[in-house]
Amino acid sequence: MAVDNFGETDARQTLAPSVSAPPSSVARPREKGDGDIVLEIKDLTIDFVSVDGRVRILNGVSLMAKKGEVVGIVGESGSGKTTLGMAILGLLDSPPANIVSGSAVFEGRDLLKLKPGEMEKIHGTGINMVFQEPLDSLNPVYTVETQIGEALKVQRRRQDPPVTQETEGESRELITDLLRNLCIDKPEEVLERYPHELSGGMRQRVAISISIVEKPRLMISDEPTTGLDAYVQSRILGMFSAQRKAGETLLYITHDLTIASQICDRIYIMYAGRVMEAGETRGVLQEPLHPYTSTLVASVPQGFEDAPPLAVQLGEPPDLRNLPSGCKFNPRCPYAKDVCKEKEPELEAIFAGRYAACWRVDKELGRFS
Amino acid sequence: MGDLVEIENLTVAFRSKRREGLFRSGPSLKALDDVSLTIGENETFGLTGETGSGKSTLAKVLVALYKPTSGTVRFQGREINYKSRKDIAFLRQNVGIVFQDPVRSLNPSLTVKEVITEALIAAKSIPKKDYDERIMFITKLVGVTKDLLPRRPRELSGGQRQRISLARALVVPKKLLVLDEPTSALDVSIQAQVLNTLKRLKSELNMSYLFITHDINVIKYVSHRLGVLFYGRLVEVGDTRTINTEPKHPYTQSLISHVLTLKKAGLQEAVVSEHRPAPSGCRYRIVCPAAFERCSVVPPWVNLGSGHLVSCFLYDHLSRKENQAPLSTAAASGGNVRVPLQDPS
Repeated sequence: MAVDNFGETDARQTLAPSVSAPPSSVARPREKGDGDIVLEIKDLTIDFVSVDGRVRILNGVSLMAKKGEVVGIVGESGSGKTTLGMAILGLLDSPPANIVSGSAVFEGRDLLKLKPGEMEKIHGTGINMVFQEPLDSLNPVYTVETQIGEALKVQRRRQDPPVTQETEGESRELITDLLRNLCIDKPEEVLERYPHELSGGMRQRVAISISIVEKPRLMISDEPTTGLDAYVQSRILGMFSAQRKAGETLLYITHDLTIASQICDRIYIMYAGRVMEAGETRGVLQEPLHPYTSTLVASVPQGFEDAPPLAVQLGEPPDLRNLPSGCKFNPRCPYAKDVCKEKEPELEAIFAGRYAACWRVDKELGRFS
Repeated sequence: MGDLVEIENLTVAFRSKRREGLFRSGPSLKALDDVSLTIGENETFGLTGETGSGKSTLAKVLVALYKPTSGTVRFQGREINYKSRKDIAFLRQNVGIVFQDPVRSLNPSLTVKEVITEALIAAKSIPKKDYDERIMFITKLVGVTKDLLPRRPRELSGGQRQRISLARALVVPKKLLVLDEPTSALDVSIQAQVLNTLKRLKSELNMSYLFITHDINVIKYVSHRLGVLFYGRLVEVGDTRTINTEPKHPYTQSLISHVLTLKKAGLQEAVVSEHRPAPSGCRYRIVCPAAFERCSVVPPWVNLGSGHLVSCFLYDHLSRKENQAPLSTAAASGGNVRVPLQDPS
């Protein structure tokens, strides 16, 4: 079983970003279809300030997502993935968070400069987020039906023209269908329950369905399938693909490369609050430019018991309070040279559609050298 | 030579807290139902299944944190009487365990050295003067540096904590190490390091592993043999390679086909609804695409040769050559179940 297949699905071919014109600069990795950009983050730098001092969580992160695209943000714990998602939604508390510089433009408006109250109108149907811990995102005193129903009402009210007439039976049917699609057995019974009565996996699926009924133009999902079984996971990923086909944009935060390789059109590899490598998923994972990406790819267990040890470098994840000078990956990097310890490389276009921040990647040759 | 661990017809039932009336206790739930398996010397036995399938229950029975409701557990040929303190001590002397959550399984108020020393004190078999030597030996082996010893768990990263759990489990030499989702809470690069360490340790310390995880990629990479649990019942056991390339039970087939790899493109859409176990007979029959009438009775174990066992009526004809009937019924029911046309052995 599990036949390896390098061929791509039709959907991915049509949605893969075209790589005809080389991009002009890194901060604006623009290619064909410029008008379709839904989200563009430029040079975002965020510090967390505490009594112990200032810690830089994100450092000059630039990223963009086009309509109908699934963009993956991949990295280990502490790489700043979740902070990035929260910053887009304006959910970071300040203090401790302090946005030092940068912009996050969503449909022409900078989310970081919105007046109080404006963000609420975007939340839900404009941008929404599925959080990693579902118990925190559900209200403990309302039933599942009330909570999904509320999201559905918001979605209908904000439609143009607003749908005010709705029959209870109709929305109930829509919700039960959705839950059934997410592999929930007996959805009618689940609707009557409260979040604490559900298992972790069920709660996560309820949280996902709340996001899905709102039909957001940009959906951010933070490790939505962690802890779910393989087949439920594949069903959820299937639903995300369907949403993408309906024109929704998805920002998919994960540490799991196998999932990213399945659903993301493009991925950004993050490390210590920086983007280390970016580009079209298949290219990045099959021919990584950055040694960190290679490490991640080599960490995925492959083969059987008699397979050789996994090729990973020793070393622990970076301590953000105490980062090394130069390239932040250099203590764990087997290819580090002197320059890597002195100066930090910037994210540069190596060839069309591919970016990497590494001194050892040769721009002329277009590969690691 | 016998196997290290022999588990026969193990059933573990939990009684629901909800009572039905004043004197009648609530219904009981079988977390493990008639499970039989063996773990050989120096073997890694992988156990997989979805949440709630009873994987962790089995792990806890092996370190006597749970007692079997019925069935027998034999360790090195000695039958464990779970009522006898001596037997439980014997089991715990020889079996170590590493839990999934590296935060909750370490006492936050003890230093790393104290955590590991506790295991030595509990074992009683090692003279006090040898403690330091043992601790140095094991920490070096699992890759914990000396400077971590005076620290407390909260100062350490997830990977370091998991190594300390490993050191604690192995500081007294063990015959069997039970690993209950040891890498699920870790990042991929740390997971890879821990997996490498585990593989190296096994050959250096001469022991067996019971490796429990829901991640098929991991289990495939570490285990020699594999058992698949579905709601408390074992449905298929065999060589890891065989099960991965030629899964026989419809549930195993569905499980393997949904495993994501880096190279596989195109999602396999899940076609079934929530896996609801059947109350009787084959537990998978409610969602099984190939289910037919006979599945309402518990299916027998069918030996497909070279240790590959499957509990499914689809293959029943292979063990009883005079009766070829069920083949046609199964093929007619459609689904993506591949029925072998000839005896694979």
